[in-house]
Amino acid sequence: MNELGTSLETSALSQAIKDATWVIPLLQSIHIVTIGVVFVSSLMIALRVLGRMRADEPFAVVWARFAPWMWYGLGVMVVTGVFLVIGEPVREFTAFSFWLKMTLLAIAVVTTFVFGRTFAPRGGAASAAAGVASGAGAGVAAGAGAGALYAGASGAAPVTGRSGAAVAAGVSVADPAGAAATEFSPGAKAVAVGIIVVWLAIIFLGRAIAYDVEVWGSLSLHN
Amino acid sequence: MSLVSLVQSIQDSGVAEWMRTSVKAMPIVESIHVLAAATVFGTIFIVDLRLLGFPNLRRPFTRVSDELLKLTWGAFFTALVTGVLMFAANANTYYENTAFRFKMAALLLAGLNMAIFQLVTFRTVGNWNTDVKPPSAARVAGVLSILVWVSVIFFARWIGFTKGYHFEAPPTDVNFSF
Repeated sequence: MNELGTSLETSALSQAIKDATWVIPLLQSIHIVTIGVVFVSSLMIALRVLGRMRADEPFAVVWARFAPWMWYGLGVMVVTGVFLVIGEPVREFTAFSFWLKMTLLAIAVVTTFVFGRTFAPRGGAASAAAGVASGAGAGVAAGAGAGALYAGASGAAPVTGRSGAAVAAGVSVADPAGAAATEFSPGAKAVAVGIIVVWLAIIFLGRAIAYDVEVWGSLSLHN
Repeated sequence: MSLVSLVQSIQDSGVAEWMRTSVKAMPIVESIHVLAAATVFGTIFIVDLRLLGFPNLRRPFTRVSDELLKLTWGAFFTALVTGVLMFAANANTYYENTAFRFKMAALLLAGLNMAIFQLVTFRTVGNWNTDVKPPSAARVAGVLSILVWVSVIFFARWIGFTKGYHFEAPPTDVNFSF
């Protein structure tokens, strides 16, 4: 890996990034600004699952509000991250923190994607949002939206009582007519907490790359 | 006591010495600082976007801002404490660093912008809290807030590339312990 880093370091692009002394600080700044957007978007979704944030909105609405910022932000982070690696390949490839960060990033992305697909399938947000927008007196529409959301299907689900599909999806609809208050299963809540813990670790490791020997000692590939 | 001697006494303090000589203190404190700063920006960004009418005007502005308030201030306090620790370790060079001074100025601007919004523009929030486009003063405050906080992060990152050290960092003759 050290050899790959060394050969990449001699490439024209790597040299150009290093020679322009403002490029790496600029890329790192964009990377950190975007972390703020991605992390907090992920945090808002997780807190909604835990019922600590926007509990008055259906999960699909919260997902639709924050997930695009999370995914597009991740795109920006990948682009800036790739250029940062090209600019300083040996620094990154020989850092234990870097590889741990990449592993955790893959786990966070896959888990979040599967989580979103499970609890906020495509089309669910629009119907749930329509339910919220319709306001008081439109409980039936809202209920139908929630039914479709938690059933993961386009058809309307029964409005009264706890939706079997909702329970199957790990969600119980406490207020089906309002389609607002939903309670997630302990498993889903645990996954939400896990995603946030992983994100905290990813951000920590991002900075720890600069201190690999100090943080990891003999585990650092710098040795 | 002059500002320069105050900065020097901060650098000479015990906690500053600990930050310089502990092998793991600086990476941990810096990481927490980045995490806290990212959270401050991310949460404020949500409120600023709502001022600009994004994604829509349905959710009351006061609800959007109130629900994030604890998170923002908690993260800001964390960033402040970790920032002071980082400053203490290397106070002389931070004090002389242009990017650091710009960052402090940007933080002051952010505070000023927030104060003006809170004391003046926010007084009419009842008129535009829900389903109404916020007044131009509120939208300007939102744009300014985004620009200023992005500047804070940019200047902060620039400090790391420009400040250098007034001491051997990390000192090679110290028996490191956390």
